[in-house]
Amino acid sequence: MEKIREKYAIVGVGESNRSKNSGVTPLELALEAARAALADAGLEAKDIDGFMSYSEMDSCNPHQVATYLGVRPKVVKEMFGGGSSTELLIAEAIGLIETGQANTVLIFRSMNGRSGVRMGGGGFSIDALQNGFDGGSFIIPYGAGSPGQWFGLFATRHMHLNGLTQEHLGHVCTSFYEHAQRNPKAFFYGKPLTMEEYMSTAHLSSPFTKHDYCLESDEANAIIVTSTERAKDCKSVPVKILGMAAREVVSHAHYWKNIDEVAADYVAPRLYENAGVSPEDIKVASIYDCFSWVVLRQLEAYGLVPKGEVGDFVSAGNLRMDGKLPTNTAGGMLSEGYTHGMNNVLEIVRQVRREYEGTERQVKDTELAICTGWTGPDVAGAMILCK
Amino acid sequence: MKEETKVIYEKPIPLKNTYNAPYWDAADRHELNVQKCNTCSNYNHPPGPSCANCGSIDVFWENLGSTITGEVYTYIVSNRPFLPGFQNELPTVIAVVQLEEYPDIKIIGNVLHGNTETVSIGTKVKMVWIEATEERAIPQWVMV
Repeated sequence: MEKIREKYAIVGVGESNRSKNSGVTPLELALEAARAALADAGLEAKDIDGFMSYSEMDSCNPHQVATYLGVRPKVVKEMFGGGSSTELLIAEAIGLIETGQANTVLIFRSMNGRSGVRMGGGGFSIDALQNGFDGGSFIIPYGAGSPGQWFGLFATRHMHLNGLTQEHLGHVCTSFYEHAQRNPKAFFYGKPLTMEEYMSTAHLSSPFTKHDYCLESDEANAIIVTSTERAKDCKSVPVKILGMAAREVVSHAHYWKNIDEVAADYVAPRLYENAGVSPEDIKVASIYDCFSWVVLRQLEAYGLVPKGEVGDFVSAGNLRMDGKLPTNTAGGMLSEGYTHGMNNVLEIVRQVRREYEGTERQVKDTELAICTGWTGPDVAGAMILCK
Repeated sequence: MKEETKVIYEKPIPLKNTYNAPYWDAADRHELNVQKCNTCSNYNHPPGPSCANCGSIDVFWENLGSTITGEVYTYIVSNRPFLPGFQNELPTVIAVVQLEEYPDIKIIGNVLHGNTETVSIGTKVKMVWIEATEERAIPQWVMV
């Protein structure tokens, strides 16, 4: 991986409108996001020769998107997957470009996540849940049918062993909601959350209240990856990929077998080795936040905060704009929108470019940024970005 | 003529498949059957086509009987039904239980009649079987 350090870059990012009911197909959302990313990069559709996407049977395919942009690409790829798929597909795009099979790749995630197939709220049949997971028949008969419950089993034990409290989860939520108040495109813009309000909200499923769950939104996001050399022809400020770890897994296919480990524990050492930097060097972060606790666990896994100090770190306001590690500065999936992590990638690219310069949204020090993905406790990927 | 009360089990019943059938067949008889590896001696739960610890195909089933105790390794208390049938049993305690005599086996189930006040990590429980239909029984946990 050392030989690709700073050799590839994200040169375009874009999104569709974000709503609870788009009234259009995922294909139209994807086209809107793709056109926005192309405009951002200063590229034309014909400049893209690779199209890739991930979905959970709820989207359109990359061939369709290329077709309706009026181009015939060299490479199309669609994969089944949720969180951390963005990082994996960026790694694949780099591999394709490195081996001369593509020049410039557009990656998108498009979903009517609220009005169409909902991830946590009954979008899947019970038979599909029982058969789809390794060991599905050992959880579904017991009422564990939602990611909030699955991840909650990890959270309860981890919080118990590490002295983490409800209030620590609350600091993740209130920090991200605070960011959303500066982002007019965030779902919870104009809806701040106080700690008092958070602490008086009932659990949907312990230890999570509704604030600890990510949103559901109809939206598409797109990003464009190319070589740093080719990026010189783009009008955007390229954000270089310093290092990445595409996707790692835990030691067992069944993720409750060892609740004390998560995939991010394996991703982190490889990530820093590939990037040639240390966790202390990271100044701004996009941390996958399908649930508040997932952020706490990743801060620990990626060494961004020493184990045992995560609670104090978030209580001191360090995830906020003036903290030590401003995180999910557009509001994250808890309060901005939800595209299986890709909206967090868009935001970190904009921060590293310093696109918000002169406004209260710009993080002071953005020299080195981390962006993490989490499919579940069992699968994760991440990358480190710089200008 | 004596008529008996009919109880309709509304919750999802485990789907048997190639790998898990010996577990659920034993559950129907109110017994715990767990897959074990002959090569590395690890228990495999959930079961699979080969040992999830060492990859050996030399796996077999060990019957652990009907007296099963353990303690809560982790748990959640769900106040919202995410699956059918649970609306009548809120709050639902979903727990990962570590077996007392076989600590490398952890089994997920509900701690019946449990709530936020009574269940915590370390709570002692024992396995019971709930009749779902005339043919099927579901292992569950109750506090001891």
